[in-house]
Amino acid sequence: MDYPIRDFAMGGGILIAVVAILHVFVSHFAVGGGIVMAALETAAVKRGDRPLRDLVKRSSMILLLLSTVFGAISGVGIWFTIGVVHPAATSSLIHTFVWAWATEWAFFLLEVVTALAWVATWDKVSPRTHLLLIWLYAFAAFMSLVVIQGILGFMLTPGSYPATLSFRDGFLNPTYLPGILFRTGVCILLAAAWMAFAALRENDRTARARLSRILGSVGALGLGIAGIGWLAWERALPESVQRLFLGEKPLLATLATARSHTFRMFLVAAVLALLVTLLPRLQSWPVAILALLAGAGVLAGYERVREGVRKPFVIAEQMFSNGVLVSEIDALNEKGILSKAVWATKEAGGRAVSTGEAVFRAQCAACHTRDGYLGIRKIASAMDADFAVMFLTAMRDDGANWKARAAGQAVRPDYPFMPPFVGTDEELNALALWLASLNAPAVAEVTRAR
Amino acid sequence: MPAETLLPALDPMPIPGPPWLFHVLWLVTFAIHVVGVNVVLGSSLVGTVASFDRDRAFGRGVAKFFAEINTWAISLTITFGIAPLLFLQVLHGRLFYSATVIVAPAWLGLLLLLMAAYYLTYLGKYRLRAGKGAALPFALSALLFLCVAAIQVAVHLLSVQPGRWEGVLAQPWTLLADRAFVPRFLHFVLAGVTLAGILLAWIAVRRPPAEEERANASARAMFGVKIALLATVLQLVVGLWLTISVPREVLLGLMRGGGATMAPFTIGIFAGFGLLVFLARIRDPFADRASVRRSIELFGLAMILMLVTRHQLRDIYISAAGAGSTPATTGQWGVFAIFLVSFVLCLALSIVALVKSARDRPPHGEATA
Repeated sequence: MDYPIRDFAMGGGILIAVVAILHVFVSHFAVGGGIVMAALETAAVKRGDRPLRDLVKRSSMILLLLSTVFGAISGVGIWFTIGVVHPAATSSLIHTFVWAWATEWAFFLLEVVTALAWVATWDKVSPRTHLLLIWLYAFAAFMSLVVIQGILGFMLTPGSYPATLSFRDGFLNPTYLPGILFRTGVCILLAAAWMAFAALRENDRTARARLSRILGSVGALGLGIAGIGWLAWERALPESVQRLFLGEKPLLATLATARSHTFRMFLVAAVLALLVTLLPRLQSWPVAILALLAGAGVLAGYERVREGVRKPFVIAEQMFSNGVLVSEIDALNEKGILSKAVWATKEAGGRAVSTGEAVFRAQCAACHTRDGYLGIRKIASAMDADFAVMFLTAMRDDGANWKARAAGQAVRPDYPFMPPFVGTDEELNALALWLASLNAPAVAEVTRAR
Repeated sequence: MPAETLLPALDPMPIPGPPWLFHVLWLVTFAIHVVGVNVVLGSSLVGTVASFDRDRAFGRGVAKFFAEINTWAISLTITFGIAPLLFLQVLHGRLFYSATVIVAPAWLGLLLLLMAAYYLTYLGKYRLRAGKGAALPFALSALLFLCVAAIQVAVHLLSVQPGRWEGVLAQPWTLLADRAFVPRFLHFVLAGVTLAGILLAWIAVRRPPAEEERANASARAMFGVKIALLATVLQLVVGLWLTISVPREVLLGLMRGGGATMAPFTIGIFAGFGLLVFLARIRDPFADRASVRRSIELFGLAMILMLVTRHQLRDIYISAAGAGSTPATTGQWGVFAIFLVSFVLCLALSIVALVKSARDRPPHGEATA
């Protein structure tokens, strides 16, 4: 929060989501591709199955280009992006998990080397060496997932970490294993879906049908594993979140909706996987594209729900998405948010920023834009200054609930998806006036109509 | 507003190990990363120059050599860039994040430039394999890599000078107004060109080629030596320019550091001069293979010593800006041990994979993968 602030037209959250979604598709394919291609190449060598071997070879270049180029750069990209949007949270995560990230990096190094070597040695080395390369790749890629899931799970369900501050407690958190299971299934599913395009390039119709059937069953297997993982993951979530899934708060229906969409994607992917397995001659480009989209939809839905469940925290029970720590709520109410967020009054280009807008930039801009995603102008369209003061005061009072919850008490905040407002009365009033000023003519009309 | 007021507070979370450990790991992994950066930058530039050579066969041959190297080098360079970035964030997170937020559009744009440059390299490689020209993709990719290098240099300089942050946020173009920016950028670029030239020469003369290949290999080696020589001569001028461009208090800090700072700096400069002498002596690279090899060794020595100096200069910059800090530390030795074991294991397996890939060539008639 005391870092410089950048206003992104699309919103920092959306920026992270765009980079992250692209990366997770590719990285899951990279992991699943390793497992599936290693298994299929092994089967091809054992049986002397030329079409199966050619399928793997045709898929290998895509694996290389996506994994070592796009995957590597977009992975760094997520880091760059969260560092720019949430510098304090990134710093905190780095301090806690630097050795875990370093371990993941070691596996990624092996992943890149073996991917390059594997693709470069088709038709050059013995089958035994080639299999060694792809199995090493599969091992390294899977291990990078095993490591990174500890950090992703921690951000959502830190378990007993806030009390013990133990790395092990944070890493081996409640959603760790279910997350690995789900992601492994999706990795396999996505790999099968990607490889379906390479299978369609097989000229021999009988061989093409056989390859499609194999990939259909691999996809179904992945989907089954992912389904079990999802169920286990949901059970590991706090009960309050599970109730939200069931639509407990109608005003916060986003989570329940995203969950339903994900289930629909599961269903579509399952139907297509079974269709291709049972009637492989029906496999075609449109079916393959649909299957890939459904698989991507399952993963996107999971990530959307995961992000939604985590709100309003960026690190559960410790740091809100705007960088305010639960532990500093009282101090900031006393001294004012702008005593810490000194950069909030400074905008790129040197434009003058009013106090109210500065408070918005410090506290709200991590999630809300002015007119884009979660646009504050629209949200505040029916607010006049008095209403805004009332609303913000209630949000400031909610800070006590968040503190009590972080201390382990069974207290439920009134605004479960919003960080509390923190700041002095002057800052609160300034923000209220600024919010009201965004729609001044419209609010004036409402007031006149009254 | 005074720079100290704008400096974010130290992260209250302790760092999971002693600072010296992170400094060592940072320096070691960064050295490997910089070798890659030099190869990539230099290869793309020299490859582009070669693509425009009037002798088309020679030019394409050299360009193909660099394209084949670069598709590997780029992946490994990016991969080896991750580790130093991690350790940098542990030690100087508040400086690094602040600088990247201030120049966020350029910083995030760097990723797109990098990706485009990478795919252009692949495009060039496959065009050359198909017997087509690849001057345009190479030129574009070289240009993009230069932009990436410029952004990295600018962000580095900004991160260690908090006093410039407010001004750059208000007027972004002042990012490039740092006196040390241009010489520092050129210093990196010329190092890359030197390494690419020596690498080309060394690979050409490393093993005696077949008689019909000798003329071509000799021409390549001489081309590499000339390029490296020219870049080293320019480097000496740029090095002097860079030295006098650094803020006075930083330069004084370097000198006051005594042997610890002056020894690497001075020996590094001497290694540069030595490199110049060895390169200038080479008339026939085949006859004087030892000089070519010695050039690589001297380049390596100069590079490592200059990296040490760079690391020390960063600390002096930060101290001069009053942004130095002593973070709280805690031990995560168990997890560190896991990292160390994983790293050694992965490194060993990587070497096994590479050696097997290079050596395993089944005899004619036996099955291949």
